[in-house]
Amino acid sequence: MTDLSVKISNVTFKNPIFVASGTFGYGTENPKLVDISKLGAMVTKSITLNPREGNPPPRIVETPSGMINSIGLANIGVEKYISELLPIYEVMDTPIIMNIAGSSMTEYIDVMKKVEAVSSNIVGYEINISCPNVKEGGMEFGVDCEMTEKLTGELRNLTDRLLIMKLSPNVTDITAIAKSSENGGADAVSAINTVVGMSIDHKTKKSNIYTTYGGLSGPAIKPVGLACVHKVFNAVKIPIIGIGGMVSSHDVIEYILAGSCAVQIGTANYRDPGIAEKILNDLNDYLDEQNLNSITSLIGAVKTYV
Amino acid sequence: MKIEQAIVLRNEQIAHGIWRMSLVAPDVASAYVGPGQFISLLIDDSWDHLVRRPMSIAKINEDEVDIIYKIFGDVTDHFTKKCPGDSMNILGPLGNVFTDYNSEFAEPILIGGGVGLAPILNLYDACEKAVMIIGARSADEHFLNHKPDNSVYLTTDDGTAGIEGNVLTALKNMNLSENTILFACGPEPMLIAIQNYADEYNIRAQLSVESYMGCGIGLCQGCVINRQNGQVEQHSYHEKYSLVCLEGPVYESHEVRFD
Repeated sequence: MTDLSVKISNVTFKNPIFVASGTFGYGTENPKLVDISKLGAMVTKSITLNPREGNPPPRIVETPSGMINSIGLANIGVEKYISELLPIYEVMDTPIIMNIAGSSMTEYIDVMKKVEAVSSNIVGYEINISCPNVKEGGMEFGVDCEMTEKLTGELRNLTDRLLIMKLSPNVTDITAIAKSSENGGADAVSAINTVVGMSIDHKTKKSNIYTTYGGLSGPAIKPVGLACVHKVFNAVKIPIIGIGGMVSSHDVIEYILAGSCAVQIGTANYRDPGIAEKILNDLNDYLDEQNLNSITSLIGAVKTYV
Repeated sequence: MKIEQAIVLRNEQIAHGIWRMSLVAPDVASAYVGPGQFISLLIDDSWDHLVRRPMSIAKINEDEVDIIYKIFGDVTDHFTKKCPGDSMNILGPLGNVFTDYNSEFAEPILIGGGVGLAPILNLYDACEKAVMIIGARSADEHFLNHKPDNSVYLTTDDGTAGIEGNVLTALKNMNLSENTILFACGPEPMLIAIQNYADEYNIRAQLSVESYMGCGIGLCQGCVINRQNGQVEQHSYHEKYSLVCLEGPVYESHEVRFD
């Protein structure tokens, strides 16, 4: 039997297949369609200090091999996350990574402080500094090295749990932000968040998304994600969790070859909430066929020409 | 809800630009609750079109699930290419149901327009007694017959079949009572008109609304509709907007706002 476990800092995950924030709700929505316990980890939907309604509709549109969303960080807020969800996670077999979003340094800090103040079994935090869909979605951090390093450092001081900074592709140089995350004390980075996109209905001449621009996801962004992961892999020493358009075990292998030690399945969950488990099974078969005992030897092992 | 590889049994054009597909889907059919529910279909196994398409259930007959769809783009055009024996990946049944249509004293008036006929036909089959109004632009888009004696009324914009005008024209000639309940599904302008009519005459109406869905099961939070009482506190969640896939698609008319 292949050992699929991966280690990030001091946490061992039973496999590298995670589900991405915002694509799996809070993990309590559809227990019958999915066996969540099979997942390497579940990253929960972005939580802010206060509850948020999110953006007006339309929020979603399909695009070639992808979709654009502009949900606007609709979420229940940290108080309810603590009172209603943490007790549920306590009895789940799946490691939970809490995704936090904020509009200011204080907001990220306040949310983390509240969660750190209570007892829970969440294994880490993924910090959303890359939401393209709200003005206050943390992008001011995600595009600025100094701010990223300062925020990472502040949060590092608050927790011994895993600290993962989620990077945006909508920047001039993603490696600079990755280095700032590393310098600030992050245990890992996850990449990428959605790519800014737009969709127009030529018949009505209207934008298909209320906020005009939204976040493109799905197979359409896989090449962008691979390039970002590979660049970051060559720039930092901390592990990378790859995200962006994966729908099969082959996609996962490619992300690992580009430099990911684990991956998050995102948009594909919308189409089939059970897909992460299928990908995991296929990944197992692939490694068996290749006579590989673990994925470690594949991380960043892509053969490039130059 | 289930995900199932359904088998196409029939797929045929029943009126101009309107098709009916029957699928053999025992798992989905056995989980069906009632009229108003929908299924969400994938076009094929490729990821070119990755988002499922929600379609109202037009009929459930043992292990068969019927949908009625109108061609309005690439995706629905793909649906017309499906042949008997082909498989389609479907998720369902999803959503809530129309209510109280068979309750004592209820006098249901069912109104369907355009793509909104499927759940209305399904509801009609479930009603012990009902009046039904179906609207279209012209006669070639209708596949039912105008039968006022059976309380089935067709309307056409151009007067080529049934009553000339839209569904509101027909509705305005109906006798209303305090027990009248309107059940409607159709294009948004039609739903708005029915909402206004129900308000004006103080009658109850249940509207099945359409929304672009990313998943159909509450994960993506994409398919929201404005709640009527949109006055909410500064910080709230699901008080200003309702998720159509989980709380809908059927709403009491006074619950939602179209704008």
